[in-house]
Amino acid sequence: MKIEGSYTVQAPRDAVWQRLMDPASLARALPGCEKLEPNADGSYTAQLNVGVAAIRGNYTGRIEILDAVRPEQYRLKISGKGTGGFLNGEGLIMLAETGPGTTEVRYSGDAQVGGLIASVGQRLMQAAARQIVGEFFQALGREVQSQGG
Amino acid sequence: MATALLGERIKRKEDPRLIQGRGHYVDDIVLPGLLHLAFARSPHAHARIKSVDVTAAQAAPGVVAVYTGADLQGKVGMVPCAAGIEGLKVPEHPCLAVDEVRYVGEPVAVVVANSAYTARDAVEQVEVEYDPLPVVVDPEKALAPGAPRVHSKLADNVAFVAKLEGGDWKALEAEPGIKVIRQRLINQRLAPVAMETRGVVASYSPGEDLLTVWSSTQIPHILKTQLALMSGVEENHCRVIAPEVGGGFGSKLNVYGEEGVACYVSKALGRPVKWIESRRENLQATIHGRDQINDVEVYVRPDGKVAGLKCWIIADLGAYHQLLTPAIPTLTALMIVGAYHIPCVFVETKGVFTNKMATDAYRGAGRPEATYIIERVMDLVAAELNLDPVDVRMKNFPSPKDFPLALPTGVTYDSANYQRTLKKVLKAAGYTKLRKEQERLRKKGRYLGIGLSTYVEICAMGPSSRMPAGGWEFGSVRIEPTGKVTVLSGTSPHGQGEETTFAQIVASGFGIPYEDVTVLHGDTGVVPMGIGTFGSRTTAVGGTAIYLAVERLKKKMARIAAHKLGVKPGELEFKDGKVQTAGGEKAMRFLEVVAEAIFAKQLPPGVEPGLVEQCVFEPANFTFPFGAHLAVVEVDPDTGEVRLRNYYAVDDCGRVLNPMLVDGQIHGGLVQGIGQALWEEHVYDENGQLLTGTLMDYAVPRAHQFPWFETATTETPTRVNPLGAKGVGEAGTIGSTPAIVNAVVDALRPLGVRHIDMPLKPEKIWRVLRSASAA
Amino acid sequence: MIPQSFEYHVPRTLEEASRLAAQFGADGKFLAGGHSLIPMMKLRLAAPKHLIDLTCLRDLAYIREEGEHVRIGALTTHFRIESSALLKEKCPLLPETAREIGDVQVRNRGTIGGNLAHSDPAADWPAAVLALEAELRAVSPRGERGMAAKDFFVDLMTTALASDEVLVEIKVPQLGHGTGAAYAKLHHPASGYAMVGVAAVIALRDNGAVERAAVGITGVGPKAYRAFAVETALHGKPATQAHLNAAAAHAAEGVDVNADLYASAEYRSHLARVYTRRALEAAVKRARAAATA
Ligand SMILES: Cc1cc2nc3c(=O)[nH]c(=O)nc-3n(C[C@H](O)[C@H](O)[C@H](O)COP(=O)(O)OP(=O)(O)OC[C@H]3O[C@@H](n4cnc5c(N)ncnc54)[C@H](O)[C@@H]3O)c2cc1C
Repeated sequence: MKIEGSYTVQAPRDAVWQRLMDPASLARALPGCEKLEPNADGSYTAQLNVGVAAIRGNYTGRIEILDAVRPEQYRLKISGKGTGGFLNGEGLIMLAETGPGTTEVRYSGDAQVGGLIASVGQRLMQAAARQIVGEFFQALGREVQSQGG
Repeated sequence: MATALLGERIKRKEDPRLIQGRGHYVDDIVLPGLLHLAFARSPHAHARIKSVDVTAAQAAPGVVAVYTGADLQGKVGMVPCAAGIEGLKVPEHPCLAVDEVRYVGEPVAVVVANSAYTARDAVEQVEVEYDPLPVVVDPEKALAPGAPRVHSKLADNVAFVAKLEGGDWKALEAEPGIKVIRQRLINQRLAPVAMETRGVVASYSPGEDLLTVWSSTQIPHILKTQLALMSGVEENHCRVIAPEVGGGFGSKLNVYGEEGVACYVSKALGRPVKWIESRRENLQATIHGRDQINDVEVYVRPDGKVAGLKCWIIADLGAYHQLLTPAIPTLTALMIVGAYHIPCVFVETKGVFTNKMATDAYRGAGRPEATYIIERVMDLVAAELNLDPVDVRMKNFPSPKDFPLALPTGVTYDSANYQRTLKKVLKAAGYTKLRKEQERLRKKGRYLGIGLSTYVEICAMGPSSRMPAGGWEFGSVRIEPTGKVTVLSGTSPHGQGEETTFAQIVASGFGIPYEDVTVLHGDTGVVPMGIGTFGSRTTAVGGTAIYLAVERLKKKMARIAAHKLGVKPGELEFKDGKVQTAGGEKAMRFLEVVAEAIFAKQLPPGVEPGLVEQCVFEPANFTFPFGAHLAVVEVDPDTGEVRLRNYYAVDDCGRVLNPMLVDGQIHGGLVQGIGQALWEEHVYDENGQLLTGTLMDYAVPRAHQFPWFETATTETPTRVNPLGAKGVGEAGTIGSTPAIVNAVVDALRPLGVRHIDMPLKPEKIWRVLRSASAA
Repeated sequence: MIPQSFEYHVPRTLEEASRLAAQFGADGKFLAGGHSLIPMMKLRLAAPKHLIDLTCLRDLAYIREEGEHVRIGALTTHFRIESSALLKEKCPLLPETAREIGDVQVRNRGTIGGNLAHSDPAADWPAAVLALEAELRAVSPRGERGMAAKDFFVDLMTTALASDEVLVEIKVPQLGHGTGAAYAKLHHPASGYAMVGVAAVIALRDNGAVERAAVGITGVGPKAYRAFAVETALHGKPATQAHLNAAAAHAAEGVDVNADLYASAEYRSHLARVYTRRALEAAVKRARAAATA
């Protein structure tokens, strides 16, 4: 499944980048994040309760940030499994300052979903992914604002 | 209570209980101390199992035991494959995966609990760690050098290569003026979707060392043998019962790992266990159907005479062999020339492993593929030479006088009159008028299409010499002291209605009401031997065994009555509840003869008391039913939607024993065949994830999507069995798919369309329309 | 059907129902006809810990006329709407839409309220209530409120309802003189839901120009939506075929269009345009008939 899109955050690029790299902010912004712990190798172990409306599942997984070019881009690698099956994804996140104090975050990646969600959620998956990503960026936007940029 | 004659339209004996919900299916079996099973299944298409941790599941309240593949190793036999193909590679197929999983849905562990709910909940607590391995989904990619291997112990993904060749190819290829038409045809993967999913109850009694299994199966006797081998319980200590079975369509002509596991668990725990498949499991882990790629090369003379046919078949077998997996595509090769006299044939069939569920018999089993190929070929020829598809068919039909007809494929067709069925369907549909209407509508920018299919199929399976494990069938008839008749059949009807047909055969033989006849089947403890129900064999082979047993009993009864009446046995007939001389001057009531035979006071010398006869009927050949179907469709030029406007089917299944049952089989068959043409497709993504995992996504056809079917029959009896019946269980499915595709392609012919692969989803057609209008 | 275990509650009153829901928060779910919720529970996509059954609140199942409105209780089944003589006369778009839902069994159990509250991206009712500019009324411990249909559908399966709010009524304004409505749907071959479903309401002026157009579209995006661009394109224009075509071309504008095994986003957008045109054509035809009646 291809996931791509962009989101505009009302904050300078550096501020957005900082939030994206900050575990505490991430934990708050990630939808349904119950735990986010840094590992020794720089990756995170996350525990999430994610979904759309009544469709929810508990997942544990690993989040890795790779090839970071501050404050422009990085690769994000996610792998997790839970009640709804498993998910492996990799994507590129790019930040561009599109105006004074506005940053456009573009993301594009590929996710492989297996198990329950893959076999019964086919028709909803794309829209659900979009919604969850949207929630994340909205929360991230709030994070940046509340931290005063 | 009139005597029912063969050929009468009689309502099904089984319907009152089924319609009122009073039948008993596997899930209705409740035994004291019953435990429930649930399976943990692989979410990966291919992975190494690193570890299976069952501690949490085992500790859950209500869970009695959890077993993994490793626990069962050496204790339960492999899932069996009965197909005998030269050089066939048969990979190990454990009931629960041991160190590798090879398709999504493969069982890896089983939870045993005191309720189905507890078992299902605990499955989620079985922790399996997987190491994903490379996945191969596309069978062509699986054939490429260096492709990931489904079974690392095998050199490649080829399970077998089979060739079939006949005729003088050298001469044909050198023939001047011969034209060669090439086309690739794809026969997509389907799900059988029986209304009742699979289910099994296994109950082992240690005292008697007796294993009783209730299974939703089409083959109780074969299952009994195989479960005995798998479980280690001696076969004469095993009993398999197929209670009411809610459809199978071939998917229950099998032996499944879950059945082996159920037997093992019951034996290990000394308690009865039950497993009922969910619909999701059914779509994932019950065999799939079809899935072939067919590359055809047609050699045709300028006048439309097809002189040769070559076909390369790539059959996607999935990850493992189920009972008949590799045998199915070989049936395609066998029937590839269809109803036509084609002297030269070449077929190469390659069975290929992929990381998907196994394919196996699905209604038609190999023959729908053959029919699709040859019927598309006839239309391709017609289009290429600009001939009417009717003329091309007529030109290539053998004459009715040519039968029995030996073909280059190695089979001998028993009897047919293809011209007659085709003419009858053309008349029913008003073919000439339809073509005129088509022309008129085309001028208005509307796309009406007319599609034909003149199929022949292979039924009444079959002579034992050509079957994997026996093709005979058992029948016995016993007359009780009250005059009621008990029939035992080794077949295992599961919705087809043979309790009615068999009762008709018996009642009309004895001249008694058919209500007096009861047919028992599907219980190896009651019926001594049998093969089962598949390959449209139940009436033609199983019914014949019963018919012959009736004949034997009648002979005996005639002797007894003749002795009493002082006439010759040959002078007596069985009519209206009497055994009588032709005019009825001398007569005994049926019941009187029965009493004579059973009370045995004055039997003629040498006659044994009692009235019970049995017969094991061995057919000398298959039968070859045929028919002509015509579909009328209209394609919406805006959206590509296909509307099926009319459907005409003329089928010849030999002698018709009950027209209502024939109609029923045809209607149901048509729906499944049309479903394949228009909607159905079981889809895996490139990672081997099944995307059509629910009936929200897999498009099973529904009644409201169809027009009324105009059906009719012709009757060309067969000499293969004394009933003259050929079989009709699969005809509708086999005949209809190409009729629909031919109709849609015909509709789009003005746009230069030659072929579109199934299913004919509106988007595909819309794209064709769009690119045509752009051109 | 083996869902995860849950507790089942039967409130006697509406107040009790929403109080229970407030108490359970995200762990609770109302149960109406069960034909959306239970399939999800069966697949274990949803696993609410508490089910609060609304079906005993029988006075939430009604269809009645009140002044300029018809009012439909949230627990009214699709079948009752389909077969209502009152609605066939006063608001035929509703029975016309109901007829297209699922099959007889689904229509006998499923409720309009459950359908709207669930807000499946391919459900039929959302298109109809959008086009009819209905008001959706809900009750919670905080009182009763009404929401315009256009504000009700928030995102994929997400509505403006709070988790303790019971949808109680769909209040539909009756169509005026010279107004016609129609629903055009392409059924998904597997689920029967809408690949695309378009409800259109058109009011014509005496001179044949479009006075008002309201178009609700379902099946196309993550949620049902009002096709404002289509409506604007028609406003004040004569209802000619050319104008209908041109307006329908805006049907999927600005929408994140769904894709599945049966229709890519591109094809689905095309379907949205074709079915919008068809719904508009039918609505105009009926509006003309209504004007001359
Ligand atoms: C085979 C099948 C085919 C179908 N085809 C179609 C179709 O073609 N078109 C279509 O539109 N639908 C279709 N449906 C869905 C059907 O219409 C459902 O009945 C409907 O979507 C939900 O209504 P319900 O009463 O069954 O709600 P439920 O399933 O009981 O509830 C659905 C959701 O709404 C909430 N809810 C229910 N009532 C209220 C209320 N009064 N206030 C607040 N929240 C509430 C529940 O908590 C739950 O989250 C189909 C369903 C099935 C099973």
